[in-house]
Amino acid sequence: MSQSSTRSPSRAFVQRLVDEHALAVGVGGTAVVLLLVLYVPVGVVFSEAFGVDGAPSVARFAAVFTDDFYVGDLAGVLASPLAFDAHAAAIAGFVGGFGVRVATLGPIPYPAPVLPSVDTGLFGFTAWQALLSTVASVLVGLPAAYVLATFEFRGRKTLRSITILPFVLPGILVAAGFFAAFGESGLLNDVLGVVGLHQSLLETNPLFVVVLAHAFYNAPLVARVTTGAWESVDARMVETARSLGAPRRRAFRDVVVPQLLPAVMAGALLTYVFTFMTFPIVLALGGLQLATVEVWVYNAAQNLDVPTAATLAVMETAISLALTYAYLRYEAGRSGLGSAGVDVDRERFLPDLSALDAKRVAVLAYGAFAAVLFLAPLVALLAESVTDGTGFTLDNYAFLVQRQATGAAFQTKPLDAIANSLVFATATLLVAVPMGVVVAVVSSGRGRTRTVVDALTMLPVAVSGIVFGVGLLTGLVFGIDLPGPYTLKVTGVVAVVAAHAVAAYPFVVRNVKPQLAAVDRSLVESARALGATRVRALLDVQLPLVWPGVLAGGAFAFAISMGEFDSTVILATQSSTATMPVAVERYLGRTLGPAMAMGSVLLVVTAASFVAVDRLGGYLGGFDR
Amino acid sequence: MRRRRFLQAAGSASALGLAGCLVQDEGSTSTEPTTDDATTSDDGATSTTSETTTEATADLAGTVRVATYESFLNAPSESYDAPGKFVKERFEEQYPEATVEYTVPSNGLNEYIQRRKRGASVDADVYVGLNVDDLVRIDENLGDKRLFEGLDRGRMERASHVRDELEFGDPKGRALAYDTGYISLVYDERDVDAPETLDDLTTSPYKSKLLAQTAQGTDTGQAFLLWTIAEKGADGYLDYWRDLLDNDVKVLGSWWDSYSAYLDDQRPMVVSYSTDQVYANRDGQNMAKHQVGFPNDQGYANPEGMGVIQGSDEVDLAYAFMDFVLRGDVQQTIALSNVQFPAVTDEHVDLPAAFSDYAYRPEDPVSLGYDELKGNLSGWVEDWSRLVASN
Repeated sequence: MSQSSTRSPSRAFVQRLVDEHALAVGVGGTAVVLLLVLYVPVGVVFSEAFGVDGAPSVARFAAVFTDDFYVGDLAGVLASPLAFDAHAAAIAGFVGGFGVRVATLGPIPYPAPVLPSVDTGLFGFTAWQALLSTVASVLVGLPAAYVLATFEFRGRKTLRSITILPFVLPGILVAAGFFAAFGESGLLNDVLGVVGLHQSLLETNPLFVVVLAHAFYNAPLVARVTTGAWESVDARMVETARSLGAPRRRAFRDVVVPQLLPAVMAGALLTYVFTFMTFPIVLALGGLQLATVEVWVYNAAQNLDVPTAATLAVMETAISLALTYAYLRYEAGRSGLGSAGVDVDRERFLPDLSALDAKRVAVLAYGAFAAVLFLAPLVALLAESVTDGTGFTLDNYAFLVQRQATGAAFQTKPLDAIANSLVFATATLLVAVPMGVVVAVVSSGRGRTRTVVDALTMLPVAVSGIVFGVGLLTGLVFGIDLPGPYTLKVTGVVAVVAAHAVAAYPFVVRNVKPQLAAVDRSLVESARALGATRVRALLDVQLPLVWPGVLAGGAFAFAISMGEFDSTVILATQSSTATMPVAVERYLGRTLGPAMAMGSVLLVVTAASFVAVDRLGGYLGGFDR
Repeated sequence: MRRRRFLQAAGSASALGLAGCLVQDEGSTSTEPTTDDATTSDDGATSTTSETTTEATADLAGTVRVATYESFLNAPSESYDAPGKFVKERFEEQYPEATVEYTVPSNGLNEYIQRRKRGASVDADVYVGLNVDDLVRIDENLGDKRLFEGLDRGRMERASHVRDELEFGDPKGRALAYDTGYISLVYDERDVDAPETLDDLTTSPYKSKLLAQTAQGTDTGQAFLLWTIAEKGADGYLDYWRDLLDNDVKVLGSWWDSYSAYLDDQRPMVVSYSTDQVYANRDGQNMAKHQVGFPNDQGYANPEGMGVIQGSDEVDLAYAFMDFVLRGDVQQTIALSNVQFPAVTDEHVDLPAAFSDYAYRPEDPVSLGYDELKGNLSGWVEDWSRLVASN
């Protein structure tokens, strides 16, 4: 505001005008984008679930709820809800089914629970594997956040920037990476074989491998969201607690944990929703025996049975939104815990060897585990790109060069794909961050209505990707008939960016909002009392305080766009608008090599751009963390 | 490195070209495998095989919009590029006034079915990449509305070159095959013996040995399922699959998933194509791991076809294009780069030893035609999927 004296009166007027209406414009713009690219296309598909032969009906849902393939034993209950005797007998049988048995993990015996055999159906299994995946992702992700937020070591900033790299990898690369890393003759067995510990995990426990793959994707998400929150924890509050005599552990539990929990829960929620709707990776590693609901959505969509796809997808979305709502009620109850911090004191990780205490040994052990889980598939991927059946080769990269040099106009060229990815991702970042911040601001506050609205803003992550694709194709690409002679068609580059931004903005909301809620309201109120507009107060007071959250949200937006596949292919049909993940898919021939080479390019370009985005964002926010 | 390998390949193909003087294809200008590099074609040897050089046909002009699948245009295949580029260049050579414009519907043929259903435009003249189940899906979804014309085969002089067994059995005669694959088993002979019959796969020597694919949306997975239906009947196939599942068959997502798992030694047998050794030979792999098995001496034939989109404004060009695709050199190129069998009979196409010595046809090709699939396919697949997923 110190600059205002140098402005001309008219500029000040314009500035004022912008300040007063920017929020309204932001809300309006966000609403239009969401309406066009999300609500209308998805709404058109969803509406098919609620009708039979043109008449409104819930018969399709009833059919799912009474089909034991989908809902297991629940189907019998719902088919004849009043048969109390049968239900009582079933419950007694259930209770009597609990027990304990001895199982072994390798050579180690341990007591394992025997659970009553309940057929939970497709939905039950889907929910169960998502729960396991979420627990695994949180267990793997939290220590990473702890390390990144509390220790200082060489390469920390770079490591933090590239944490979410797994998040952008096309499923085909992750599956191939997992086979090459953890398969029978994979890297891990090459190492373990030396000490005679050959593992056949994919054979003996495919569910474990699927959960591991989900953790590979989502633990980075948990880690990144939590790191952002951890960096916003007010160090002064910790110091105050300590100076009042609280032991370190106590200060952590009473001061730090309450400020982290919303972020951890947000990460867990997103992980659950994602893995609930997991699709290609579960079939690639676990097979149809571990099928999820989304597999049936895909099957129905492939058969052009849109009503069935829509019915299952509506149920998926309902479950996801219900969980989101529960989370938001929880988040709302925890706001206003303190002002967001501005700086973090980090311990040097290893100033010298004498500092190697139990805590640091545990961190090193975790680091070794994380290196195996995250690096092995990536290293395997890079290795596959420079080898063929007989040894080292650069042929796969020669293919990329050749395609670039001599490719026909209708072919996908690597450099074009790189450029498109970077342009789309940057544009997505620029659209999604304001969208997310606007939504975070207007949906903050208490009350059930706001919570419902807030839950609805999470729709992009709660809608089946397959149904979203069907909606984009049959809606925006084919055109939606409007009243009069008009048809609404939205395709091309702008549509791609809009679709990416819609997919990405919930991540901005979930990163920014918990931290925004933690900002002391009195700071904002003081600014308003001193004459600042709502927008000024947001830009000058709130955003700088929650910048780590904005940065994390922006990084996610960039990453979502980088990794997006379906809507890119649907909305931009020209081969010249292909992105890197699209190119990977198109270079898949009978040998993996060329696709792996393109995948390696994707890895390197994405990692470098993550570092650049983070550094630039830190610089813009006046932070250097 | 790449170029050198290419020259070797071209050399051997030319030698074959000399031996192939009997090839009766008036359009065959050269027999070397196609690459980006056209300059190597003038080595003297091949010119002797061209009984008549291609004459440019000037009377057809305009743009023919060819809709196809992505790998027809983009897939790399060792020294052979995807066939799309070659096909476009040679077609435009033969018809200097004509242009080929490729388009790839983002959701495959389903996009066109949905477009036709909703009255949106279908911007293509020819579709390359039709399977018989596509025709069934078209009719089940579109009813009286049509997506493809019934073909007038008299308009394509080479239509008669297509092998009889590659007919789609379509009462409306909408599709003409341009290549075919045979789904078979590929196994590692160091680990398992060739199964004599499909029933062998349910016995203990094959317990936990086989990798298959889901029949929901993968060609090989669906073909293997239909093979078992052809053998066991619509009443018996689920029982057979119960036995297979008891014997721990693993059903993965895509052909790629299962083949990656196979290459990583997860299991010693996979449902795949009978041309597997062509790749293994190109890559210098150990052939022991690339044995092709035809239980019951069968393999499931999966012909790929092409057809004319109804409502096309360029019907003449569309027919000319399809006829051109059946020309000997084009058949050869597509076969080599897709690593599938050509659709035309042997006297109409020359195949280098690197292909013909390593690609196997089953003695007794099996396939279910249009009539058998119509009204049954989606139910069979759904019942099967539920069985596997509940297992």
